Amino acid sequence: MLLHIPLIETRDRPSPQSGDRRNFWANLAVHTRVLCVFLLVFAIALTPIGRWWTWAIYAIATLPIIYGSKVDLRILIKRMAIEFAFISVILLGTLFRNGGQLLWQWGWLQITTNGLTTLASVSIKAFLSLLLLNILTLSTSIPLLLQAMVTLKTPPLLVSILASMYRYIHVLSHEFNAMRRAAQARNFAPKNLYARHRQDHAWQRQVLGNMLGMLFIRTYDRGDRIYQAMLARGYQGVPTVMESKSGGWSDRLALGCVMLIILFGQIFGQLTN
Amino acid sequence: MHHNPISIKKLSYVYPDGIQALNGINLEIAATERVAIVGANGSGKSTLLLHLNGILMAQQGEIVVGEMPILPRNLIAIRNFVGIVFQNPDDQLFMPTVWEDVAFGPMNQGLRGKDLEIRIAEAMVAVGLDLEKYRDRQSQNLSGGEKKRVAIAGVLAMQPQVLVFDEPSAQLDPRSRRQLIQLLRTLPETQLIATHDLDLVLELCDRTIVLSEGEIVYDGKTAQVLSDRQFLLAHSLEMPLSLSDARL
Repeated sequence: MLLHIPLIETRDRPSPQSGDRRNFWANLAVHTRVLCVFLLVFAIALTPIGRWWTWAIYAIATLPIIYGSKVDLRILIKRMAIEFAFISVILLGTLFRNGGQLLWQWGWLQITTNGLTTLASVSIKAFLSLLLLNILTLSTSIPLLLQAMVTLKTPPLLVSILASMYRYIHVLSHEFNAMRRAAQARNFAPKNLYARHRQDHAWQRQVLGNMLGMLFIRTYDRGDRIYQAMLARGYQGVPTVMESKSGGWSDRLALGCVMLIILFGQIFGQLTN
Repeated sequence: MHHNPISIKKLSYVYPDGIQALNGINLEIAATERVAIVGANGSGKSTLLLHLNGILMAQQGEIVVGEMPILPRNLIAIRNFVGIVFQNPDDQLFMPTVWEDVAFGPMNQGLRGKDLEIRIAEAMVAVGLDLEKYRDRQSQNLSGGEKKRVAIAGVLAMQPQVLVFDEPSAQLDPRSRRQLIQLLRTLPETQLIATHDLDLVLELCDRTIVLSEGEIVYDGKTAQVLSDRQFLLAHSLEMPLSLSDARL
């Protein structure tokens, strides 16, 4: 999550393109965008292994969303690369499994056709799902996404917790950076943890551990102060809910199209399998 | 507006670790007064402020806000009556956007729709911020001075009769501090200002209360106490720079 922070800077104001009348994605109500993306993600994730044509259809359906959302492709690729680095560890685990024709073996490690098919299928699922979710979060500000969750009847307490997490992740990263700078100013450096000429690796690790511990304590203290500030403005344990707008005909049309694409992908995939 | 919005009698408070934060505090605040609460670190200023809208409850003594003693059953009304602006605006601005944050208090009061919009617009005007420009701005992207103003707007939007400020000029650059002083001067509400900034006190407050080790050691004219170097030193305070310069 911390790795993501420099990349998730969202604009305060809408981008100039979002006022473009031809931009169908920006014209959709935010909760419709969320619904469209989640329906597609569920369809992608629940498609059985080996249905290549179904995913091909869903990938083609993603292209107009990429175009319509006007996301910055460089940021999209950067984000995808970071996220894929994390999930590739899990994906690799799907490769070494029994079943099918044996292609390669080294000790107990083996690669089979079954394993390759699973790896390819899960990778495609992960790639398409991440692509859609990243498009959604890059084209829609977090406050609007939270508002959309309220509209979609997500429990208000859960939305409030997410809103607080979003609000304070920046404050936490700022505090962590401040502590790191303070440590660096007195010659603490991550490379000291591994430097061969140093004899104080244990102490260096202890310092790092203390910094993380201090961050948790500061987080706790800050949480306490925030709660006091909430109480001071009349908070009684139940988060307030904003009023939300309902979607128009274009939203219903977009949802209908997504449903049709999902259905078509599933039927076509089954016929060609 | 209530004629005597805050009355404190023999208030004492001990923290769980045994530190006596407040000891026998007696205090009367009149309507529209602007009162400074000064004292060294650990003198009990923040603890006293947290008592004023029931975040901390009195262990001994009595606090009456308006006509209401601070008791659990009165807390909702008391928190509408006394608004606290916390020292660090990052603690106070917990909603994702400026609009949502300023709306937080009024929404807890039950306001919705047009009334809510009007209340937010009035609060933003009072702190000199353009609502249209700031409504969708995200709190973490504001400057220190803007955050402070939004924090004050969030409290003003609840239309309290008493405003309590904890270190209002902390973390502000000189220009933002000057703007804050001008803003506080324009606000008609009764104000209690806990601060180390004695120059700000000299400019804004006619009355000053000096706290030392949890006790009130002075309650009277600001000009008199802030020009008494010996008294201030005895209570770990220094004369304001403007008065020190005048004596040089």
